[in-house]
Amino acid sequence: MNEMWQEAMVEGYREMMRRVALFLPKLMALLTFLTLGLIVGGVIRMFLQRVLKAVHFDALCERMGAAPALRRAGVKRSPSQLIGQLAFWIVFVFFAFMGVDALDLPATTHLMSAIVGFLPHVIAAVFVALVGILLANFSGEAVLIAAVNAQIHGARLIATLVRWGVIIFTAAMVLTQLGIAKEIVIAAFSIIFGGIVLAMAIALGLGGRIIAREALERRLRREKVNDELTHI
Amino acid sequence: MPAAAWEQIQEQYPGLDKIDILIGLPTFNLAATIETVLSAILEGLDRWFPQASVIIVAADGGSKDGTPELIKRSIGNRRPVAVIPAIANGMVANPFAINRLSYSGMPAREESFRSLFMIAEQSRARTCICIDGGIRSVMPDWVELLAKPVLEKDADYVAPVFRRQRYEGSLTNGLVAPLTRALYGKRIAGQAGGAYGFSGKLISRCVQKDLWEGEAARFSIDTWLTTVAIAEGFNVWQASLGSKIQDVKANGLDVSMVLTQAVGAVFHYMERYQDVWEKQAESSAVPVSGPPFEVRAEAVTINTERMVQGFQQGLRDLLPIWEIILAPDTLEGILALGLAEEDAFTFPLPLWVQTVYDFAIAYREKVIHRDHLLKSLTPLYLGRTASLVLETRGAGTEEVERAVEHGCTTFERMKPYLVERWRFQ
Repeated sequence: MNEMWQEAMVEGYREMMRRVALFLPKLMALLTFLTLGLIVGGVIRMFLQRVLKAVHFDALCERMGAAPALRRAGVKRSPSQLIGQLAFWIVFVFFAFMGVDALDLPATTHLMSAIVGFLPHVIAAVFVALVGILLANFSGEAVLIAAVNAQIHGARLIATLVRWGVIIFTAAMVLTQLGIAKEIVIAAFSIIFGGIVLAMAIALGLGGRIIAREALERRLRREKVNDELTHI
Repeated sequence: MPAAAWEQIQEQYPGLDKIDILIGLPTFNLAATIETVLSAILEGLDRWFPQASVIIVAADGGSKDGTPELIKRSIGNRRPVAVIPAIANGMVANPFAINRLSYSGMPAREESFRSLFMIAEQSRARTCICIDGGIRSVMPDWVELLAKPVLEKDADYVAPVFRRQRYEGSLTNGLVAPLTRALYGKRIAGQAGGAYGFSGKLISRCVQKDLWEGEAARFSIDTWLTTVAIAEGFNVWQASLGSKIQDVKANGLDVSMVLTQAVGAVFHYMERYQDVWEKQAESSAVPVSGPPFEVRAEAVTINTERMVQGFQQGLRDLLPIWEIILAPDTLEGILALGLAEEDAFTFPLPLWVQTVYDFAIAYREKVIHRDHLLKSLTPLYLGRTASLVLETRGAGTEEVERAVEHGCTTFERMKPYLVERWRFQ
């Protein structure tokens, strides 16, 4: 009885040690991947930030209205810092998943292949979002200035509508790219966009037909305006 | 390079070399005016340069009304004549410069000038006179006034000065000319379009690629020609040509686009010629060919109320953009203008000059997209123009001229503000 008890104890201890011996390298691999992720991510962040600084990326974003948009959204970092930080986290998460994969746990067996498979969609979605924000701000600003110079009342409203139109369109594209509720997004976007166009058509048709007619007449018949000033 | 155009001309006139005068005509659907223009030019040549070797070249932008045939028929055998396409083989119209169309009123006008310069260069012309075929008021003595300074007085560039009504050319008088004068030290009227005279030396400069490519190519030729000639030290003259009557005018409807092109060209070249204008402290008059004339007493119709409203709307809606462009004290001054009633509206000259200088610095710094920056100057320009009109409404012609001159001297006086901010921004 005593021998059996001792054998069971030793066997349990051995089994435990064997498991620990098997798991320790995996744990070491996880820690190594995490450390590597920190180092490689840091290096890539530094490299990216320097390259973006060299090509005056922040100034470009400032001109295109992306930087002011980010500031308005409460983001205090510059666009180049933001992209560097994003690159760091992408690399770190990538290494972290490799580490988790190295643990060889049943729950995480296919995690890495799933992540790698989805990554292109995420990158494309980020790119679409970035271009969309730039385009929205640029178009909004261009429309605002043009409308003010044409002395159109409600210039700010028109510019805001244009800006948000582009943002909604971008958001729909991003969600579609990520595959999130594709059908709902397309349906919602069609309804919103169609609704806006219909509302504008009705508004112009009922409320502004006289103004529209006069504007068209002025343009097509080239009526002489009161102001005869030649500026140049 | 328009080699094909030069080949066409050589086929017609094989021995063409070292000619005295090349008369260049940018044309497009000008059947209504071209005969009058040519008649005046031919009369001028016969009267002032009967013995000179001359060729008349029309660079046509694709007329559909028989302009090229009319040109050939009108001239007949009196002088050598050639009609070439404005955009010759191997030359491509700048697709980003499509907005130049309505400013000049003529498609491919810039390309026409380029072709004419190339032909003048190849034929080693002593002078090239470019006259817009759409001007009804061309007189025979224009040929003399534009060519003689080059042929006899060593001038390189003869710019036109036209007799105008009060307030006409307000952008030129209130911004472009004073700014050019303050920067480069030449008191030149800076009027755009109509007729120009060029020396062979300036033509050699004008055919170089850098003026036709990149950002510079976005601006209409009239807006950069004077700047380049003055800044690069060419001998600049002016010719008093009398009235300019033209069918297509850049009127009030196009103010934003006209301003973008005219002011954009000056701002653009400020970067290139920084070394030149930073050192320039005073201004001097340029020689003038032809009798001087006064501003016409009658004024054009100006709706100052609409201009003030344009300014006020700009103040309401474009403030976030102006906040980025303008220095804090300039913005403070402009904000105060919004409180004034329309009748009592005034935009002080020093504030206007400071505003223009702030815009020039912001343009260089690229704080926002450059097109947006230039267009957002429009309401401010309208405000200043309205202020000038209101200030001088009951005044005589001389007083208005004095006010314009005062504007020029204020730009000069406040130049240290620009230099300081430009250097240390």
